[in-house]
Amino acid sequence: MRLWRFKGLSMTYFAGIDIGSLTTEVVILDSNADMLSYSINLTGADCNEAVDQALGQALSRAGLSRDQLSFIVATGYGRVTIPFSDKKITEISCHGTSAHHLFPDTETVIDIGGQDSKVIRIDKEGKVLDFTMNDKCAAGTGRFLEVMAGAFRVSLEDFGQLSLKAEREIPISSVCTVFAESEVISLIAQNQAREDIIRGLHSSVVNRIWNMVQTVGVHGAVTMSGGVAKNRGVVVLMEEKLGKPIHIHTEPQIMGALGAALLAKRHFLQEK
Amino acid sequence: MTKTQMTRKDYLLDQKQKGRHIFGVFPAQYPKELLWAMNVVPAEIWDPPVEITAANAHLQPYICSVVRFGLELVLEGKCDFLDGFLFPHTCDSIQNMASVIHDYIGANKPCYFFYHPKNPHGKAAREYYVLELKNLMRSLEKQLGPLNPDALKQRIQQGHKISSLFGEFYDLRAKGELDVGNGEFYEQIRRGEYLFPDDLIPELEGFLARNKGKGEKRLMPVILSGVLPNPPEILTLFDELGVRVSHDDLLIGSRRLLVPPSNLKDPFKQLAESYFSMPPCSTKGAPIVKRREYLLSLIKATGAKGVIFNVVKFCEPEWFDVPNLTDELKKRGTPTLVLDTELNQGLSGQMKTRVEAFVEMIS
Amino acid sequence: MSFAQKARYNFMKDLGAPALMWLRQSQRKKRPRKPNPYLGPPLKCAGRLREIMTRHYYLSRFSKGAKPVAWVTSGAPVELLRVFDFYTIYPENHGALCGAQKKGPEICSEAEKKGYHPDLCSYARIDLGHAFSGKTPAGRLPRPDLLFCANNICQTVLYWYKELSYYWNIPLIIFDTPYNFQDIREKDIEYMVCQFEEMIPELERISGCKYSHDRFMKIIGIARESASTWGRVLATMKHRPAPISIFDAFVHLAPIVSLRGLPIALDYYRILLDELEERVAKGIGAVTNESKRLMWDNIAVWFKLRDWSLLFAERGLNFVAATYTNAWAETIHYLDEMSPFESMARAYSLVVLNNSLNYRLKLMEQMIRDYQVDGLVILSLRSCKPYSVGQYDLRRLLGERLGIKSVVIESDMTDFRAYSEEQTRTRLEAFFEALEV
Repeated sequence: MRLWRFKGLSMTYFAGIDIGSLTTEVVILDSNADMLSYSINLTGADCNEAVDQALGQALSRAGLSRDQLSFIVATGYGRVTIPFSDKKITEISCHGTSAHHLFPDTETVIDIGGQDSKVIRIDKEGKVLDFTMNDKCAAGTGRFLEVMAGAFRVSLEDFGQLSLKAEREIPISSVCTVFAESEVISLIAQNQAREDIIRGLHSSVVNRIWNMVQTVGVHGAVTMSGGVAKNRGVVVLMEEKLGKPIHIHTEPQIMGALGAALLAKRHFLQEK
Repeated sequence: MTKTQMTRKDYLLDQKQKGRHIFGVFPAQYPKELLWAMNVVPAEIWDPPVEITAANAHLQPYICSVVRFGLELVLEGKCDFLDGFLFPHTCDSIQNMASVIHDYIGANKPCYFFYHPKNPHGKAAREYYVLELKNLMRSLEKQLGPLNPDALKQRIQQGHKISSLFGEFYDLRAKGELDVGNGEFYEQIRRGEYLFPDDLIPELEGFLARNKGKGEKRLMPVILSGVLPNPPEILTLFDELGVRVSHDDLLIGSRRLLVPPSNLKDPFKQLAESYFSMPPCSTKGAPIVKRREYLLSLIKATGAKGVIFNVVKFCEPEWFDVPNLTDELKKRGTPTLVLDTELNQGLSGQMKTRVEAFVEMIS
Repeated sequence: MSFAQKARYNFMKDLGAPALMWLRQSQRKKRPRKPNPYLGPPLKCAGRLREIMTRHYYLSRFSKGAKPVAWVTSGAPVELLRVFDFYTIYPENHGALCGAQKKGPEICSEAEKKGYHPDLCSYARIDLGHAFSGKTPAGRLPRPDLLFCANNICQTVLYWYKELSYYWNIPLIIFDTPYNFQDIREKDIEYMVCQFEEMIPELERISGCKYSHDRFMKIIGIARESASTWGRVLATMKHRPAPISIFDAFVHLAPIVSLRGLPIALDYYRILLDELEERVAKGIGAVTNESKRLMWDNIAVWFKLRDWSLLFAERGLNFVAATYTNAWAETIHYLDEMSPFESMARAYSLVVLNNSLNYRLKLMEQMIRDYQVDGLVILSLRSCKPYSVGQYDLRRLLGERLGIKSVVIESDMTDFRAYSEEQTRTRLEAFFEALEV
C-alpha cells in the first residue's frame, strides 16, 4: 500500500469536514479510501477559524498541504460557511455513507449529536432510504445529558459509567429538559441514589430515540455515530431495546467527516 | 399603479374607498362567491406579518400559530378598518378563537360564523350546506342590504373562471411549463386571498400570458402538502436545490382552489355541489382513503419524486392524517418528509438540513 | 354473530363475571384501608362502582361475536345504539383508566412510534397506541364492528376515529352537531334529525337487528332518568359540607358516560344518591373540615386524582363543582319520548363544549353562585383545545364579575411527561396563600 502511494505521483487526496455546533472534525482520505488522518476541534464562535485549524491539523498529520486535496466536501450545520469546499452535503447522507463503508451490513444508523439526533435507514449500497430527526427540543440529544451531568457536577464520560452501576432505575417522567432538571433536583433532595437517577435519565434519552427508531423501522445491523455513542450507558440500554449489539467505530464523532470524505472521492471520480 | 404593485393593505383600503365592504375571513373553507355577490371583499387572515405579543395574554403556547397570528392582528387594531369578520368552522382552535373575539374581547363589528358539515357522506349534509349558505346570506343581508340574485350568478361564473385559471396554473406547473420560481408561483396563488374577482381574473390571466410555455422541466418535481407554504424561505430553498413543486395538497392551495364547476340551475345548489366535489380536505372530515388517492393521483400525474408535508405545529386536523398518509406513500415507493413548522419563523439550520437531506435522498 | 360466542358471552355474564367479582371482593376485604384524618369516610357504594366497571371491561372481551361492538365517543347519542344491542366501549373512559393507572406515557408512545405527534390529544394517542400494540390495563378490549363519533365535544374525535376506521377498515358513523356560535337554530336540529334517519339503516345492517321504536322510547326514558339522577348526585354538593367531592365525582362519572341508557347505570345512581342524602342528613362531608369550596374547569388529571384530593383536603378545601362532571347532567333532561329524535339532537348539541364561550361563562357564573364557590382551579390542557382555548379570558372575566380567586395549572390528563410537579406545586401554593388557607 505504502509503496504504491510513493509510486503514484498522481495520487489524489480527499477531505471531509464536518462543522457541528460543538466540534469540527476533518478526515483526510487517499484514493484507496484509506484514512490518512483526522482531527477533532472545538468549533467555538468563529466557524472559519475552527475549520482552518482543524484542516491544518489533519493535513499536517497526513503530511500534506491544502493544494494537494483534489476534492473537499463540507457537512454539518456550518457547511454553508466554508467558502472553499467543492460540495456541500448534509450530515444525513454522510453518516449513511460512512456507516456503510465501515460496517457494510448496516441498514440503520443512529446518530446522537450535541444538538440533534437522527435515525437513518440506508439500503445495501449505503444510499439513504428514509430518515427522521428529533424535534426542536433538546430531549433525546447529547445536550440533555450534558445539562443533567451538570446538575450532578459529573463529567459526561463518568455519567455513562455511573448509569451502568445503578442497582435499579428511577424513572424520570418529564421529557422537557427544564422540567426534568427540576425533577432531578428534587430526587437528589430526597436522597435517592444518584446512580439510579442517572440510569433513569439515560433511559429517558434512549426511550426518546427508540421512538424515532421505530418510526423508521429497524432493518439489518445498527450502527451508532456521534459523540453520545461513546457513552456506554446509552449504548447498553439501546442494545437492550434492540436485542442485538450495535456497531460503533472507535471514534464515532468523525463518522460525519469520514462520510463527507468518502463522498468527496465519489464526486471527484464522477466529475472526472 | 396596478393591483399587484399595491400592497395588500393599500388594495383593501382602495376597495373600501370604492364602496366595497372589507371582511376579515379566518381559515379556511367558505363561500367566496356569496360574499362577492354582496359586494364584500374577503381578506383572508392566515399568516400576517406581525409579532405575537398581545395574543399571548389570551392563548396558551400550545395553540397553533395561524390562530395566534390571527388574534394578534385583531388585538393590535390592524383590523379596525374592516366591516366584519367571518369565521368558518375549521377546527376547535378557530372555533374557540371566534368565540373569544365575539364573546370575550368584543370585535365591535359584525361577526359571522359559517358551519360547514363534517359528515360529508349523506344527503343530509348537502341539504344542510344549502341551508347554511342561505342563512349566511340572510344574516349578511341585515347588514348589507338584499342580495341581487343575478349578481350571485355572475360571481359564480367568475368563481368558475378563477378555478379554471388556477387549474391551468397547476397543469403548467406539473409539466414544468411555467417559468417562475416556487416563491413567485405561490405569491401569485395567494393573491386570491384578498383580490376581488374583477381584479383577480385579469391578474391571473396576465401572469399566465407572461410566464406560460417556458420553464425548467428537469427540476426535481415534488408535491407539497400541509396548510400553507410558510415560512416562505422554504420555497426559496427549493429553488436553490433545484426542486419544483409540481402540485400541492395545501389547504391554501389545490384543496380550495380546484373547484369543479356545477351545472345545476339553482345557484345555492350549484355552490353546494361544487363544495362537495372539491379535493378531499381534513377540515371537511374527508376520509383518509380519499386523501391518499388524491395524493397518489397527483404523484402519478406530475411524476413527483417525493411528498413534503409542511405541517403547522399543533394543527390537529393535519397531524392526525400524516402518519397513515406517509406510511401509505412509502409503501408505494414515494419518499416523504414531514416538517413541523411555526409560521414566520424562518428556516432553522435543522429544517434546512432535513430538506436538503431529503433532496439528496430522492436525487 | 355465532351461537357459540353468544353462549359463551351469556355464560360469562351470568356466572363467570359474578364469580370473578365475588373472588375479587373476598380478596379485598382482607386489607382494609387506614382512614385518613382529612377525608370523610369512604363511600359505601364505591365497591359497587368498582364491580360494575370491572364487570363491564371484563365482559367486553367476550362480547366480540356475541354482540355487535361499537367504540363510541363520550358525547355521542348512544341511546340509539342501545336499540341495536351494541356492546359499547368508550375509548375516552379507557384513556382515563390508563391515566389513573399511570400507563399514559407508555401507551401513548406506541402511537408516537407510528408517527403520531406527541402534541396530539393523549386520549387519542392512548387509544391508537392500544390499537397498534394491544397494551391496556383492562385485559383486552374487543375490536369494534362500528365506530360512532359525535363532534359535539371536539373535532379531534373526528380525526381520531377516522384513523381507527382507516387502520381497521371498519365503518365510521359521524354524528355532526353544528357548533352553537349563538343560539341553536331550527335547521341545525333538522340536520341532526336527518342524520339519525340516515344512520338507522346503517346500524341495522351492521348489527343485524331491526330498529324498534318501543325499545328506543324505553331507553330514552332510562337515559333521561339516569342523567337527572346524576344531576341530583352532583347537586348534593350544594350542601355544606358537601357529601362528596368532584374528585369522587370524576370516578363515579364512569357509568353515566359508559353505560348510559342501561338500567344498571340508573340503579347505581339511585343507590349513590340515597347514600349521599343520608350523608347530608348526618352532616358528613367528603372533607372533614370543609372551610373553602372550589370549582374545577376541564377534564380531570387522572394520574394525580388521589394525590390532589389529599393535598386539597389537608387544607380544608373541597371541590364542589366542575363543568366537566356537569356535562352529563346538563342537557340530557331534554330527552323526550314525544319527539325522541328532535329532543336527542337538542340534548347532544347543547352540551357545554358545543356552545359559545359566552354560554360557558354564564354557566360557570351560575354554578359559582349555586354551589357557593370560593375559588377556581383552571386546568389548561394541551390535549383539549375546545376546553382550553379561551380559559385565560374566562378567568379574567369571572374574576372581574365575581371577584373569584383562581389559578391556572398546566398538565395533561394522562401523559405525565407533560407535567411538572415542582411548577404546579408552586402555583397551587400561591393559590392557597391567596385563599388564606
